[in-house]
Amino acid sequence: MARLKVDPDVQFIRDLQAAGGESLKKCYQCATCSVICPLSPEENPFPRKEMIWGQWGLKDKLVNDIDIWLCHNCGECSDLCPRGASPGDVLAALRNMAYRSLAKPAVIGKWLSSAKYLPILFAIPALIYLIIWGFTTGLSIPEGEIVFGKVFPGDYTIDPVFGLVAIFVLFTFASAIGNLFKSFKESGYTPKEDAPSFWKSLLDVIKEEIVTHSKFQKCSSNAERYKGHLFLFYGFVALFIVTSIVAVGHWGGRLIGHEMHTPLALWNPVKILANVGAILLIAGLVLITRMRLNADPSKSVSSYYDWYLLGVIWAVALTGILSEILRLANVAALAYTAYYLHLISVFMLIAYLPWTKLAHLVYRTVALAYARQIGRKGLGE
Amino acid sequence: MSNSILVLGGGFSGLTAALEAAEVGYEVFIVEKQPYLGGRVAQLNKYFPKLCPPTCGLEINFQRVKKNPKVKYFTLAEVSKISGGPGNYEVTVKIKPRFVNNNCTACNKCVEVCPVERDCEFDFGLGKTKAIYKPHTMAMPMQYVIDSEVCTGTSCAKCVSACEYKAIDLEDKEKEVVLNVGSIVVATGWKPYDLANLTNLGAGQIKNAISNMQMERLAAPNGPTGGKIVRPSDGKEPQRIAFVQCAGSRDQNHLNYCSYICCMASFKQCTYIREQYPDAEIVIYYIDLRAPGRYEKFLNKVQADEKVKMVKGKVAKLEEDSEGNVIVTAEDIIAGVKKEETYDLVVLATGMQPSLDGVELPLDAEIKEGFVVGGEDKGIFAAGCAKMPLDVMTSAETATGAALKAIQTLVRR
Repeated sequence: MARLKVDPDVQFIRDLQAAGGESLKKCYQCATCSVICPLSPEENPFPRKEMIWGQWGLKDKLVNDIDIWLCHNCGECSDLCPRGASPGDVLAALRNMAYRSLAKPAVIGKWLSSAKYLPILFAIPALIYLIIWGFTTGLSIPEGEIVFGKVFPGDYTIDPVFGLVAIFVLFTFASAIGNLFKSFKESGYTPKEDAPSFWKSLLDVIKEEIVTHSKFQKCSSNAERYKGHLFLFYGFVALFIVTSIVAVGHWGGRLIGHEMHTPLALWNPVKILANVGAILLIAGLVLITRMRLNADPSKSVSSYYDWYLLGVIWAVALTGILSEILRLANVAALAYTAYYLHLISVFMLIAYLPWTKLAHLVYRTVALAYARQIGRKGLGE
Repeated sequence: MSNSILVLGGGFSGLTAALEAAEVGYEVFIVEKQPYLGGRVAQLNKYFPKLCPPTCGLEINFQRVKKNPKVKYFTLAEVSKISGGPGNYEVTVKIKPRFVNNNCTACNKCVEVCPVERDCEFDFGLGKTKAIYKPHTMAMPMQYVIDSEVCTGTSCAKCVSACEYKAIDLEDKEKEVVLNVGSIVVATGWKPYDLANLTNLGAGQIKNAISNMQMERLAAPNGPTGGKIVRPSDGKEPQRIAFVQCAGSRDQNHLNYCSYICCMASFKQCTYIREQYPDAEIVIYYIDLRAPGRYEKFLNKVQADEKVKMVKGKVAKLEEDSEGNVIVTAEDIIAGVKKEETYDLVVLATGMQPSLDGVELPLDAEIKEGFVVGGEDKGIFAAGCAKMPLDVMTSAETATGAALKAIQTLVRR
C-alpha cells in the first residue's frame, strides 16, 4: 500500500485554534457537517475535510482552499455536530487567518488579530484627527451654529484623508485578490473552456446571490442572522449611496458652479436615505449582537474578528446618530466630540478593511464568482 | 437485619443476579415492570455470542427460577419507596392489576372475542394485539394480561364469559407489597433511543426507516411477519438495504456515548437479510466499526461478503420518496464524495438509553446519563445495561459480580 507522509505544521494548528477554531480537535470525522450543509458540493464536500486538514496541520491545503469562502457560516453544521467540534467556527477561523495573511503589509493583519493591539488601531486615526482639530480651531469648540466643517473641513481634511485611505485599501485589495486567484489555481481548480467569463460570473453572483441573500436562507439555523445581515447590508448600501451622492454633488457640483452643501436639510431625500440607512444599521446590529450573545457556547463561540467588526459598526452607527442628534439639539461641545469619535470609528472600519472580517465582501464575492466559473456548487443546488 | 436481596428488573441481568444469589441460599425478590420476565433478550431474533434464539438462554433461566423456592418475582411491579439502609432496607412495591389470574391456560379464547385492538409494544408497533393478550410466545409467567388503557372494562366483558377457567377478573386492583431486604441489585436495563428525537433522520416518521430492534422483531419467527423481513409500508421484499450506524449514539445532542453493541447488531442483521435474500445488496454507513474483543472474527466474516459494502461516513439526512423508498445522504469519506442513494429499507442502529434515564427512582445511588455509577457503599449494585451499554454475555458476567457483592453486604453485617 502506498504510504502517505503527513508533515504537520504544528504552529499552524495552534494559530488556527487561536483564531477561533479552538474546538477543532473534538472532531471525529463523521461527516455529518458535509451532509447537512446545503452549500457543500458533491465532489470533495466541506467542511469535514477542512477539519482533518486542520487537525493534521496541512497548511498548504487550507490556505489554498476556496471552500472556506463558499461557507456562509449559517451554523447548521455546528448545531448538528455530535462532538461540539463546531466546523462552522473552524471555517470562520480559517477565514480570519486569510484576512490576516492575504493582504499586505502583514503588520496590520497582526494588529487586527488580537484585542491587545486595539490601542494602536485607535491611536492612529485619533491622532490624525486631533492634529487636524489643532490646526483648524486650536482644539477649541467653535462658536455659533454647529457645522462640523468648521473643525474638520471636508475639502482639505476629510476628503484627502479618506481619499488616500480609499486608494490604499483599493491597492491592498487588488494585490490580495491576485493572491487569492493564485491560491485557487494552486488547489487545482481551473475554469473549463466553456466556462462563463469571470465578469459574467461576478455579475450573476451579485444579481442572484448577494442582492437576494439567497444562500443565506438555505439553513434553518440561520433565520435570525439572515435578517440581521440583510439589514446591515442594505444599511451600508444606503450609506454608500449617500456618501457617493454627497461627494459627487460636492466636487462635481463645484465644476459646474452648483456645489452641494452639507449638512443637508432633514427633508432632503438624500438625508432621508441616510437616516433610513442608519436605522437599518442599528436594527441589523441589534439582531446580530443578540444572536451572538445568545449562542450556545457548546455549539459556537464568537471570535475576536466577529466582535471587532460588530464593535466598530456599532461605534460608527452610534457616534453618527449621536452627532446628528447633538447637532440638532445644539450641544456644541458634545456634538463636536461625538463627530470626532465618529471619524475615528469610520477610519477604523475603512482603513483596516482588508484585514477585518468585513473583507469578506471582497474575498467571498470573488470566490463565489470563481466557484461559478469552475461549476462548484452545493449538491442539489 | 435482613438476609434477602432485591433485584430491580427481570431481564437477563436481573435473572442471572437473582439465580446466582438464590442458588447459594439467599432469598431474592425480582421486581419487573413488564408483565413478563426476560427483558430485551426476549425481543431478539438471535443473540450474541453464539447467535442463539432467545429461547435458548431464557428457557434455562426460567426453569431455574421455577424450581428455586428462594426466587420470588413480581411482574407489572415497580418500586415506589425505599427506606432504611444497607442490611435493612424496607422496600414498597406497587403491583399493577393484571386482570388475569394464574388459572389462565393460554387457550386464547379471550383474544378471539376481544373487540379492541392495540399497537403491540413488544413488536415496537409493527404488529397489533387485542386489549387482552399474551405478552409473547414464551412469556414467563405464561399468563395473559389486559391493557387497562384500551380495554373498555365491565361494559364489554366478552372475555370474561369466554374464559372457561375463571381466569379473568376485570375488577382486579393495584396491590402493594412491603419487602425487607439487605441489599439491592439494579438491573433495570435499557430502552432503544427514541427515533422521534432524530429529526434529520426522519424523526421516526419514515415508514421504511426502522430501528434495529424493529428489525429483530421482523426477523424473529414469533414476530409480526412470522420472521419474514419485509418493508413495513407495503410488505415488499427489500433488495437494497442500508444500515445507519450511531443513530443517536456518540452524539452530544443525543446519547453522548458508544452503545457498544450496535455495530455487531447490524452485522448480525446482515446475516439475517443475506439468509432470506441471497441477492440483496447491503450498505453499512459508519463512523468507526467497533467489534469488541473476539467479535472481530464476526466482523471479518461479514466484511468478506461481497454483497455487503461498508462506507465510512455518517448518514445525516434521510428522506422518503413517493414510492416509500428511503433516500440516504452521506459522504463517503474515503472517496471524498457526498451522495444521495435510494434504498428499499433503512435500518437505524439506534443506541441503548438506560431505562433510568429521566426516571426518578427512590434510589440512593449516583446516576450519570441514566447509568448507575455509584451506590456500592449503600449496598446497591448495578448490573448489565443499567451500569453501562453491554452485550448479553457481559451483562450476565456483571450480574454475577453484582450478586456476589450483594451477598457480601448481607454477610459482612
